[in-house]
Amino acid sequence: MKPTTIGAATGIAFILALAGIASAAGGRDTIIASYAAAAGEPLSAERGKALFMGTHSSGKPDTPSCITCHTDNLKGPGKTRAGKEIEPMAVSANPQRYTDPAFVEKWFGRNCNSVLGRECTPLEKGDLLTWLSSL
Amino acid sequence: MEQLDRIATTTEPEAGAAAHVAVWDPFVRVFHWSLVAAVLVAALTGFLAGAPWIDLHVWAGTATAVLISARLIWGFLGGTYARFSAFLPRPGAVIAHVRTLFDGHGERHLGHNPLGALMILSLIATGLGLALTGVAAYGGILKSGPLAFAFSYATARGFLEIHELLAWSLLGLVAAHVAGALLESMRSRENLVRAMLTGRKQARPGDCRPPARRAWPLAAALSIVVLVAGAGFTLSALAKREIPGVPTAALDPVYVSECAACHVAYHPGLLPRDSWVALIDGLADHFGEDASLDDATTGHLRGYVMANAAQAWDTKPANRFTRVDPAAPFTITATPSWKRIHRDIPDTLFASKAVVARSNCNACHRDAASGHFYPGNIAIPKETQP
Repeated sequence: MKPTTIGAATGIAFILALAGIASAAGGRDTIIASYAAAAGEPLSAERGKALFMGTHSSGKPDTPSCITCHTDNLKGPGKTRAGKEIEPMAVSANPQRYTDPAFVEKWFGRNCNSVLGRECTPLEKGDLLTWLSSL
Repeated sequence: MEQLDRIATTTEPEAGAAAHVAVWDPFVRVFHWSLVAAVLVAALTGFLAGAPWIDLHVWAGTATAVLISARLIWGFLGGTYARFSAFLPRPGAVIAHVRTLFDGHGERHLGHNPLGALMILSLIATGLGLALTGVAAYGGILKSGPLAFAFSYATARGFLEIHELLAWSLLGLVAAHVAGALLESMRSRENLVRAMLTGRKQARPGDCRPPARRAWPLAAALSIVVLVAGAGFTLSALAKREIPGVPTAALDPVYVSECAACHVAYHPGLLPRDSWVALIDGLADHFGEDASLDDATTGHLRGYVMANAAQAWDTKPANRFTRVDPAAPFTITATPSWKRIHRDIPDTLFASKAVVARSNCNACHRDAASGHFYPGNIAIPKETQP
């Protein structure tokens, strides 16, 4: 249970802040906008694509890339290493994607650590969502 | 028990053609060959076919019990050769009969000879013993059937051992029965197997015959119907009793939404408490991935799994998977029992598209979520495409 309480508290505060801002209708845009605001620079779908498709050696050995589980066909379902189907990542194939800030933060928290061995920065999260929302 | 009467045959055999008498009535013959079929199915499913055939095995055992019960009634209400009183041998009679066999002037019995009668009684007793220990083991181990409420897993393991011992005994008895029928056929120069099909045997001078008794088929049929219906009614009432040690509640919704996001929602009863503590404490590195959760959710899950861990249940998996691999204390597929149970499943099947991973219980166990893992609910997918 190392992921520090400070980290968790910050995370919860951040989630609450996000949840407060996010309206039901524009949930996704609000989430992306808040990452952009935290990053302090313009987001890039190109950078997001490179991060998502790339292979990384800093994370856990079983999950070197996002596409290990999500596959490179983002309009289709992915598959966890245990065989469970993952809903498509592309917003065009799955309109419910990235509308719940708590859900988004939970999975960034886990998967960035699994693939990169660290937390993602707001810029990286914003880049990823910008690209995935455009698909 | 009535004394066998040595009666000279009343039918004078005509020159060249032996007279035949009806010995095995239709009930006895249908019973005999039905029992052969039921025991054959039970033996094939029990010794060879494996756990997924449990339902057929139980039906074959039920049929055996019904057949033997009916035969017991017919033994009191049937005709001359079907009656127990006609062939229940005294120990002295068995010894005397064996002596005459060795003397070389063995007597001929139209019905069961004393050795044959001993075999019939042994087969009936072993068959009944198998049915009783079977239903007890089925209840305590698989938590199914009319005695599921009555026995713990540990007690039922004992019943299963007796059941297996009896099954091997029955195999030996059947072999001896067949050998006895063949030897006596040769000795008496009459095909006894055919006699069990036609019911007729040659009448010869000097035959041992039991005293003639009339059959009461209506009374027997009525008794059998009453017995079977009564037993069926009682057993189905018992089957409806609450079964201790078996989970009935649906899985906790938080547990399902968090855990089943990535994998099968394993029933908490599949691992002991120590394993769950290690698992929950290690979520940040969970089978090679970060599966950490916020403290509130983690606390909720901890409470749920601790209350529903293997120690809380008496199912077969809860008993079997309690012994874990110390090097992988919460890997169910690493437990010695899991490996033993799945040793015949080829790697290609686990790697197939339909299964994907050993950890994907649901691919074959249709009742995995309930934590029961009843073998009759196994459906191994045909597809083995990687």
